[in-house]
Amino acid sequence: MTTATLTAGLERIPDQLGYLVISEDGVLASAGELENDELTAGVMMQMVRTACRFRLPGAAEPPFKRMSVILEDFVYTVTVSGQKVFVVKRQNNQQEPISV
Amino acid sequence: MGCCYSSENETTEQDPDERKPLIPHPNPVSKPPNGTDWITTSVPSARTDEQALLTSILTKTAQNIIDVSAADSVMMEQHEYMDKARQYSTKLAVLSNSLPQKKALALPSLTSQPHQVLASDLVPYSDVQQVSKIAAYAYSAISQIKVDAKEELVVQFAIP
Repeated sequence: MTTATLTAGLERIPDQLGYLVISEDGVLASAGELENDELTAGVMMQMVRTACRFRLPGAAEPPFKRMSVILEDFVYTVTVSGQKVFVVKRQNNQQEPISV
Repeated sequence: MGCCYSSENETTEQDPDERKPLIPHPNPVSKPPNGTDWITTSVPSARTDEQALLTSILTKTAQNIIDVSAADSVMMEQHEYMDKARQYSTKLAVLSNSLPQKKALALPSLTSQPHQVLASDLVPYSDVQQVSKIAAYAYSAISQIKVDAKEELVVQFAIP
């Protein structure tokens, strides 16, 4: 897959504010609010690595397809496919704030 | 119960001494400490219920304790310890050579259609709220777990 085909679909995601495509070696592509955002790339990489270590008993694969990092105004949606980490920053239109 | 008693079935063992526990397994049922016999026979009716209960508690406790004083400790000479240590480290060195070098864990593939997965609807607010609530409950529950040390770990066990 060329970088163009990788990112073409990401551009069309509704409410997307920016994206990152990261491999083991570093950022392959970035755009929008995440353009050249190495810091976010590093943090997301660490978070998804940690999340991938979770396993349900007896399951060989991680029990999720997507990781969502939910903040008040926006959401980072993250997934892994073909040894590449895809991060998309999307607008969070849901009104109520999340209180923990 | 700790590595002292690791009682994995001995496979075809080249060296029977290799897996010998340092402290032999105490056997409180057949040989209670101090040589007294447990009162296991049923006591005549009258106050039996209470007595039987106490007896069963006593038996259960006896099975669960590690009686340090009753363990026939096999004294080991200094050089025996050294031999054992050397033997184990040789074994470990051999085993670790045959292990594949573990490199940074490769990323698993979560999906073959990353674009669909990323474009699908965001997690509903109510779900997030519920998860937050459950996490907060779990955190609060875990933070209340504590060890309440009341007795000595090694106690004198007075048997009538």
